[in-house]
Amino acid sequence: MKENFNIDELLNGFIDGELTVRQQTEVQRLIKHDAQVAQRLQQLQRCKMLVGALPRSEAPEGMLERVKASLERRTLFGAETGSFSRREGAKHLLGRRILAVAAMIGLVIVLGAVIYTIVAPESVPEKSFVSGTLERRHVKYAAGKPEPALTEIAGRSISKTPFRGRLELKTGDFIAADAFIRRAIEDNGISEYVGSAIQNNRSVYTLACSSDRLSSLLSDMENIWPRFNSATLFVEQNQLGDEIAVAGVSPLRIVEVIGQDSYEKRISAARKFAVLNEVNALLPGRQVFAAINGKKPLSITIPRPVLTSSEKGAGKSPSQPETGEKLQLIIVVAGGS
Amino acid sequence: MRSGTANINIDEAVLIEQCRGGDFAAMERLIIRYQNRIYNVILKMCANPDDAEELTQETFVKILEGIEGFNGRSSFYTWAFRIAVNLTINHCKRDRRLVTRSIDAEDNQCGEQAKTQLREFLRDDSVPEPAVAAQNRELCEIVVNSLSKLDDTQRAVIILRDIEDMSYAQIADVLDIELGTVKSRLSRGRSSLREILEAVSQ
Repeated sequence: MKENFNIDELLNGFIDGELTVRQQTEVQRLIKHDAQVAQRLQQLQRCKMLVGALPRSEAPEGMLERVKASLERRTLFGAETGSFSRREGAKHLLGRRILAVAAMIGLVIVLGAVIYTIVAPESVPEKSFVSGTLERRHVKYAAGKPEPALTEIAGRSISKTPFRGRLELKTGDFIAADAFIRRAIEDNGISEYVGSAIQNNRSVYTLACSSDRLSSLLSDMENIWPRFNSATLFVEQNQLGDEIAVAGVSPLRIVEVIGQDSYEKRISAARKFAVLNEVNALLPGRQVFAAINGKKPLSITIPRPVLTSSEKGAGKSPSQPETGEKLQLIIVVAGGS
Repeated sequence: MRSGTANINIDEAVLIEQCRGGDFAAMERLIIRYQNRIYNVILKMCANPDDAEELTQETFVKILEGIEGFNGRSSFYTWAFRIAVNLTINHCKRDRRLVTRSIDAEDNQCGEQAKTQLREFLRDDSVPEPAVAAQNRELCEIVVNSLSKLDDTQRAVIILRDIEDMSYAQIADVLDIELGTVKSRLSRGRSSLREILEAVSQ
């Protein structure tokens, strides 16, 4: 088949006078010695002759005029139409570009929102947690509690301020819990323990002490913590008394919050714990977690460590002077569920 | 004579330059020089006088509008035919079904005399006389219709070679294809045309 095509090409070249001298000689030799090739050559020649013999047609009359008229029409209207089209095209292109940009911005916003909800749990709602809440409050200063003067605020470092807050504990075993806390305060030698007021199954302890002593006190309170039905820490978030609340706190978390040296850091830590509480509430193994935290009747309770005499002297001597800025924590113990 | 088949001669170069400058007289001379040849090729390709007229007009409009872009790398002659052939091939692609239908209808109306003449012409032992064959209007129509049945690109190569008498190199330039492709298309085209003509003559 391919050979036939090659011979046909050669023969067509021969007919059309497109072969080299050597190729022509070769074809002539083939024609002379091969009758089939000679016959094929004749067929192709007749075909070519038949097409070539077709009469030449002349262009119709008035072709010149029609071309001229067409050119003039295009010259008259073409330029205007062209510019109009270009303008329309530019408009269309601009519109499409704007749409494309808008679509991209929309996509980025949606993606950003999705990513933000995934990687930024801080955006979890600030209220109505199952086991942990974080809510804003504005506390009016009590009559006996002086509101900080503006000059005082101006004179102090805003970013580095001692902790002020309130810890509200609710327990079904008020008497035992209250006694434990009172004893723990005394054991830790909190010098500026302002005092307590017991009224209708409710005790209020106003403490002013160093961070170390407060941490020690909270560490001691870990043993009684399983007896509390709820533990909410209110953290003052500015000089004006606004505060946020974190429910379901543990002593360890309180220590972490009060250990921060500025409002911002404390609020950040409080928020983090609020979110952790929320996550904890949603976890399938919450019951186990609660059991580990001692919130079940059969919880594991760690006995209060017995301090050696030297450790006592080093860590909790009432006579040892406190250093650093005083933190203020009001502990409210209330009976009930 | 292959007028205009060689590279641009001085007269044509001047004419083109004048056309570029917006000289309508030069444009007229250019149209007159090429209109018959372009029309003839287009008509043989599309086999419809009305379409051929329309396409010829469009070809010249495109030539004159695009003459500023003609860079002289190929000859004006092949450049102009490239426009004409491309327009016609595109037109044929659009109207392929319609054209095929009309050709099929015409084939059935071929007279017996034309068929006999074609059969004799194709018979190898007869003495062919193309001039005589060309005088038979019906026979010419059969050939034109048979050409229309070929593939567009094969038909274009055969017409440019056998009617317009272009060289293989010029055909390659007009159709923007390789020389080898010209040879193979021509070979296949002539072979197919022979088969079509034989089938029609039966």
